[in-house]
Order: sequence, then C-alpha cells, then structure tokens
Amino acid sequence: MADIVRKQMVAVEGATVRERLQAMDDSAVVTAFLGGEERAFSELVTRYQTRLLNFVYRTIGDREKAEDLVQEVFIRVYRHLHRFDRSKKFSTWVYTIASNLAKNELRNRSRNPLVLFQTVQKNFQDEDRPLQFEDTTSRPDDMYRKRHLREIVEETVAKLPEHHRNVFVLRELEGKSYEEIAEITDCNLGTVKSRLNRARNSFAEIIAPYVD
Amino acid sequence: MDCREFCDKHVAFVDDTLPGIELVRMQRHIAECEICAKHDAKIRRALLLFRNLPSIEPSADFAERLEARIKRECSGEHLLVSAQRNLRRGAIAATLASAVMLGYIASTLSRTSSPRDLVMAPVVATLPEPELTPITTSTPAIVTSVSAGLTIWPAAVFAEQAPVRFAHSRLELANYTR
Repeated sequence: MADIVRKQMVAVEGATVRERLQAMDDSAVVTAFLGGEERAFSELVTRYQTRLLNFVYRTIGDREKAEDLVQEVFIRVYRHLHRFDRSKKFSTWVYTIASNLAKNELRNRSRNPLVLFQTVQKNFQDEDRPLQFEDTTSRPDDMYRKRHLREIVEETVAKLPEHHRNVFVLRELEGKSYEEIAEITDCNLGTVKSRLNRARNSFAEIIAPYVD
Repeated sequence: MDCREFCDKHVAFVDDTLPGIELVRMQRHIAECEICAKHDAKIRRALLLFRNLPSIEPSADFAERLEARIKRECSGEHLLVSAQRNLRRGAIAATLASAVMLGYIASTLSRTSSPRDLVMAPVVATLPEPELTPITTSTPAIVTSVSAGLTIWPAAVFAEQAPVRFAHSRLELANYTR
C-alpha cells in the first residue's frame, strides 16, 4: 500500500515538474537542465522538434535526412548546452546549429552527385508523402490541383540558391527577425535584406506562371 | 517616390517594418504605378502560397530514438559536466575559506603583539674633526695649474715621463709683490 502511494506521489511530483517546465521560458528551462533536471531537456525537444524539422526539411528537401539532422541538432544541444551563452536567445543558438548542419548536408550532396540523385528520387515518391494539404470534402480534381501546387511550391523553393533559401525559410516560415537571421547565418543585416529581396523575387518569378 | 526606391524598400514594406511616412509613400506609389502594383501583388501572392505549406510532423518514434541515441552517445556526459561544475564551485569555496582564515590569523597576530619601542641606532662617539686652518701666507700668491687630461693612475704609471710631458706646466709660485 505504502509503495503504491509512493509511486503516485512520484507521478504527481513528476507531472508538477513537467507543468512547471512548460510554463517556463527557454532560458529558465535551460537553467533547469544545467541544474541537473533531465526532464528539462525533453521540454526543449518538445518545443523545437517540429519547428526545426520544418526548417531543415524546407532547406534540404529530404524529409528522412531532415529528421536525422534534427536528431543531430538535439544531440549537440545536449552535449554543449553548458557552453551556451545564456545572455543570448536559445532559439537563435538552436537554429544556428540546424542551419550549419543543413548547409553541410547540401555541401556534401554537391560533392557527391549520387546522393543528390537518390534524394531527388526519394522526393518524387508520392506514396511517402503525407496528404495533409487535401481536404476530404474536396472534389478529386481540386485535390489533385492542391497537391500539384504544393509540389510546385516545394520544387520552387528547392530551386533557390542555398544562401537565399536559408534566409527565405527563416523569414517566411519561421518568422525570424532580420537581426536573428543575421546572427543565425553569420551575415550582416544588409546582406540578409538583400538576400531576402532576391529570394522573394526569384520565388515569385518562378511560381507566377503556375499561379496565374 | 520612383520605382527604384520602391523596389529598394519593398522587403520592409512587405514585412510591415517601414516607418509610417514611408509606408504612406509606398502605398501612394502603388496607387500611381501599375508595374509596381503588379510586382507587389505577385510577391505577396507567392509568399502566401509558401507560408501556407502544410507543416510536417516528426515521426512517432522521434523522441524515443533521440533518447536512445543520447543514452548511447552521451551517457554520463551531462553528469560529468555537473560534477566538474560542482568541483569548480568546491575549489572556489575552499580558496575563499583559506583566504578568510589567513586574514583572520594575520589580524589576530597583529592584535596580540605589543607595540615595540622605537629603537635608535647606537651613537658612536667620535673625535671632532680638526678644523683646517687656512694657509696664510705673508704674501699674496696665485697658483696656476694645467689640466693633465689624464686620470691619476696613468699619470702615476707614467711618472717617469712626467717631466717630458709637462715640461711647460711647472707649478710656480708667483710673487707679484713689488
């Protein structure tokens, strides 16, 4: 009986800690983790896994690889969190790691055309893609048009030069400020604005014939 | 505003980060210039498409796989870092404690020792130096001298040559008494 009560107490205490962590901002969660609270790391993973996955996926265009890279991001965070400068934003730091990993991945691909070919093949396997865009109440031709449009948008993003795409995704998808993007991509503010302007123009130019 | 200025400021215009006056100028330009209005609409429509792309979710076993990887690759790293940090804190605390202890010992010692008398150096009695009596001559005299241009010891070494070298520099006692 006492054992059961103890287990329940531990469970309640665990839930309370988790709730408390959920209410904290990133900086406080980081402090908790560095103070020895292992559950704080799970909280950071929960907060960032989807955002990072989308960011890396839109940057490299390969879902499976994107997931591997996001795992790598969290491994690095776990290992080096004690070195993180807590006067800065945690999200900027995490995105910097993710951005660098994505950049390395693209660089490796360009050196090895075989990898690029495999990736392209994988991207065109429609069965593997989640059909989130579709609405079941829509007519089949509408569904087809939407799926087709989504593919075009993704392909158009993939056509942008790497450094333009990085800035473009950070701004349009993640909603980062120019200053944050400058810090993540290690560029000055002027370069960020100019790259964003070019990326937007190129993207709009490529996609315009499909939209009109 | 011309079209070039409009294009330069278009990024900030789309992101709504322009100051009020600039925003009004941009809007006025769109109303006047059809080309720029089309360009603006094209960009905004394209961005809308991109922003509305469906979000992808991590696979169901993402967290489990991550946990397993952390256990496999980083087991003990976090604990090691915490231990190192604790060790560092301990070392700092020990240093501070020893500094306080040393300070306490120093202050205690300085308080217990009695103030010492001022000790003067022993005075050694010496004979007063004899007063030099000025040479008084009955007759006034002027002594001339010529610099040898040498230090004393070479002069002593070459003492034998002195008469030759200083042939014209004899010391003479001049007497101007008439």
